[in-house]
Amino acid sequence: MPSLRTRTRLALLVQREVGRLTAVLWIPALGFMLRFGLRYRIQNAAELRTRYRALVRESDGPVLICANHLTMIDSALVAWALGGSWWWVFNYRRMPWNLPEYTNFASHWFNRVLAWIAKCLPIVRGGKRSEVSGVLKCIQHLLSKGETALIFAEGGRSRTGRIQLDSIADGVGRIMSSVRGCQALCVYLRGDRQESWSTIPVRGDSFYVDFELFKPNSEHSGLRRSRDFARQVVQQLATMEERYFSRSGVTA
Amino acid sequence: MTKDEILERVIEIVRPYAKDDDAMEVISLETNILQDLKVNSARLVDVILAFEDEFDIEVEDEDADAVDTVGDAVELIHGKVG
Repeated sequence: MPSLRTRTRLALLVQREVGRLTAVLWIPALGFMLRFGLRYRIQNAAELRTRYRALVRESDGPVLICANHLTMIDSALVAWALGGSWWWVFNYRRMPWNLPEYTNFASHWFNRVLAWIAKCLPIVRGGKRSEVSGVLKCIQHLLSKGETALIFAEGGRSRTGRIQLDSIADGVGRIMSSVRGCQALCVYLRGDRQESWSTIPVRGDSFYVDFELFKPNSEHSGLRRSRDFARQVVQQLATMEERYFSRSGVTA
Repeated sequence: MTKDEILERVIEIVRPYAKDDDAMEVISLETNILQDLKVNSARLVDVILAFEDEFDIEVEDEDADAVDTVGDAVELIHGKVG
């Protein structure tokens, strides 16, 4: 795995610690906004969080959270669903780093500050590989140090509202193939009123969330291995999506 | 294999992924694959995997980072096929 420059490592450390010092303000505020401002509800939240905390306790290797992608606030919803609010405040190191799209979240200085505090490393989707690579190396470094990151397995918000097997974020495979022992925590999140992609879910929506630890395998090496890993993660999410749609009373 | 031979085959590999036909007509070593040919960034990996198959080489993620232009691709392939 390529090593990071000392300056970059220091910058990540400062970013995390400033986020930690202010976590008592911004994490509960975010949770409050999701729960009471937007009236969102996570189905079986208590059971889900118990499962997640047990998984975190028992996990002995790096974990990359790989989620499906339908709205612009999916990463906040996934974090809220898995950890609630206060658990993240007291377990801040486990709070996942995020890779938001630069033009959506960091093109204005104020958003950039908020994103910085909230463990975000903005990335230009579709940007030059060498620039994207710099951000991915940060995530590889953080995972190897026992931190967690969240990345969307698809190349963007699904335009069909379903997992798109032909839209693969190669960064997922690249990270997983370069971080020794890295496992994917595949998370499928969907509001029951979410018919397709959108900016944010409908106010008052209720979210189904499921997750599974998944370790891809590949007989290939190099770029092909990374692609293979990314493809398997997306396939796993598609399987979880089928489970969602096969529940009684839910239609595609 | 000469660089000119590699270039010819690279152009044929890139062609189905390019969304800008006009840029394809004037393609050169300086042509940027993403910006000029409008190849989708996710598809760039498919392009490089096609290079692997065509030239029987193996490309690492880090090698692929250096591929911005057609010329970069030719250099990468030339360095691997010898």
